[in-house]
Amino acid sequence: MADSNQGFSDTQKFCFDYYERNVCKKPGCSLTHKRKNHIDVVQVKPRDGCVIGRLKTAPLCRYFLRGYCTHAGNCRFRHEIIPVNMRNVPNTNSNQPSSTNTPSTSATELQNANKSEDKRASRAESSVHASAASNMNNGKPGEAAVNNAEGAACSPLKDSLWVNAPEFVPKSIATKPLSYAAAVNPTGAVGNNNSTKQLCPYANKDGFCKYPPGECSYLHGEICDLCGNAALHPYDEELRKKHRQDCIKQHEKNMELSFAIARSKEKSCGICFEVIMEKANGEQRFGILPNCNHCFCLSCIRKWRQARQFENKIIRACPECRVTSDFVCPSLFWVDTKEDKNKLIDDYKTALSTKDCKYFDKGVGKCPFGNKCFYRHAFPDGRVCDVGPPPRQRRRGPGLDNAAIEVLQVRAEFIHLYRIIEFNLQQVILWDFLDERDNPWQSLAEDLEDLADFFSDSEESDWSDYDLFIS
Amino acid sequence: MANIAAQRIRREFKEVIKSEEVAKCAIKVELLNDSYTELKGEITGPPDTAYEGGTFVLEIKVPETYPFNPPKVRFITKIWHPNISSVTGAICLDILKDQWAAAMTLRTVLLSLQALLSAAEPDDPQDAVVAKQFKENIEMFQMTARHWTNVYAGGPHVNKECDDKIKRLVDMGVEEHQARVALSSYNWDIERATEQLFS
Repeated sequence: MADSNQGFSDTQKFCFDYYERNVCKKPGCSLTHKRKNHIDVVQVKPRDGCVIGRLKTAPLCRYFLRGYCTHAGNCRFRHEIIPVNMRNVPNTNSNQPSSTNTPSTSATELQNANKSEDKRASRAESSVHASAASNMNNGKPGEAAVNNAEGAACSPLKDSLWVNAPEFVPKSIATKPLSYAAAVNPTGAVGNNNSTKQLCPYANKDGFCKYPPGECSYLHGEICDLCGNAALHPYDEELRKKHRQDCIKQHEKNMELSFAIARSKEKSCGICFEVIMEKANGEQRFGILPNCNHCFCLSCIRKWRQARQFENKIIRACPECRVTSDFVCPSLFWVDTKEDKNKLIDDYKTALSTKDCKYFDKGVGKCPFGNKCFYRHAFPDGRVCDVGPPPRQRRRGPGLDNAAIEVLQVRAEFIHLYRIIEFNLQQVILWDFLDERDNPWQSLAEDLEDLADFFSDSEESDWSDYDLFIS
Repeated sequence: MANIAAQRIRREFKEVIKSEEVAKCAIKVELLNDSYTELKGEITGPPDTAYEGGTFVLEIKVPETYPFNPPKVRFITKIWHPNISSVTGAICLDILKDQWAAAMTLRTVLLSLQALLSAAEPDDPQDAVVAKQFKENIEMFQMTARHWTNVYAGGPHVNKECDDKIKRLVDMGVEEHQARVALSSYNWDIERATEQLFS
């Protein structure tokens, strides 16, 4: 049992459940029950003892007034017995029974309740109700008073006599039963309301509605000459326009695709000589060289560029025209024009720049391409890192190899000498030596092979062995 | 054999057969086995050269890694050329070695060889003796090449003088080809050739 006082005292804390959903199921909730968009809050104590906040302005619960509301404390309507001397009953607006022709249950119950206590109360209620009724459009004070008097004449509030209570008839039905069409379109204005009506999804998508003509409750659009679907809204100009635009866009896309297929389907690879679009699944991809217009399938041109038996200059050149390209751009279709090609390559670079570089490895590794790498150099926390230009290329050459190894050997001999003389000094020199070995002659180390493969004579890097495609 | 190599040779084979060079009888390719690994090529000597009128037979071996590696080609027909070994028929041509490109075909290889016959490269020789002769005595080289084309490749230019000299050496018990090589190497100086043969 909650003390409502506490709830009132702490007006700053609102009950979330009540605020959002208008229902608080926590017995003894001490928070203020204030509802969204409403200001007045009142806490009442219903019969079952649950404390629940309700709006002062909430309508009276019809079931409570009958005495058997199953929602008990959780009912969103007002569970309240109007006190005898309550003169200023809040006007419960249109939800209150209004029609004088159909004496409402609540009115009757109110009367019954009141009558059981005081005769005067019935008069008061009658007058209150009559005045309330007179506020209504079709209110007839005199008649209302008569009806109320009749209601008051009924038996007191006893379960056995409830059956005698007049049947509750909602106002809307009482006035005039509405047809479905009238309910959907109460104004009868065809143009205005049809424009908001939806198109039949069956007729729109499949071109066939299972309902016979005229029986479908949705609108059947006019045939769009572009897509062939009944998708043009017959009344709403905006929707028509939108559909036309979508259709044209889709049409352009389709045209582009069919052009792309048309210009691609005859193309054969300059290496395997097969028609690329007729290759096995997964191999129907073009490898576009940025600097020339010769056509290869991606797998062949990649294989060629990885051939170890030739010089970099040879394998990085186009097998047909010997123009060097720094990378191969994968593509599903052949590109003819320079604009298409530039767009494709830009898209490719953009796509790569979102992927983490496997050499940089989120800061763990070192990327031989430096800031020329197409891939993203970012730390695990997302910070992008500029690693500077790629280190200068060191070519594998017997001269360099031998010279470097010789220097290393000489140094090693010196170290050996120093080791004999002085241990500490040896430590220093050894580290010095290791440092030197790791840095300037790194390319001579075991990773030389890997590193050298990425550089060409033009000092540009080759990204072609990266296995990434634009989806 | 890798699938790609066989398939490509098959395609190329069709291409060569249909090509206009075949129509002009300039080049020719024949299959030697069913697996497309060994072929026989033929090129005719280019016009206005010492090789004019001759037909040169080539042995073509297609590696498994073709077309990522060049085919192995050598002359079966004996030929007097600075870039072709007069002994083995091995060819020194960059595109058959480090300048190969995967887009090259049997047809382009044969046409390149034909071009090589008309434009020798004595500074990058395969046969040093021939290259020396080519650089020092082009007339002698032309005559020798024409004679070789006549004898081995069916060329039309019969050189009576050469035939006589060879006959003399053959009469001395020297094998004919050996005699021809010796005479060709020594600018058809029969004394020096004899000296070399019998030393």
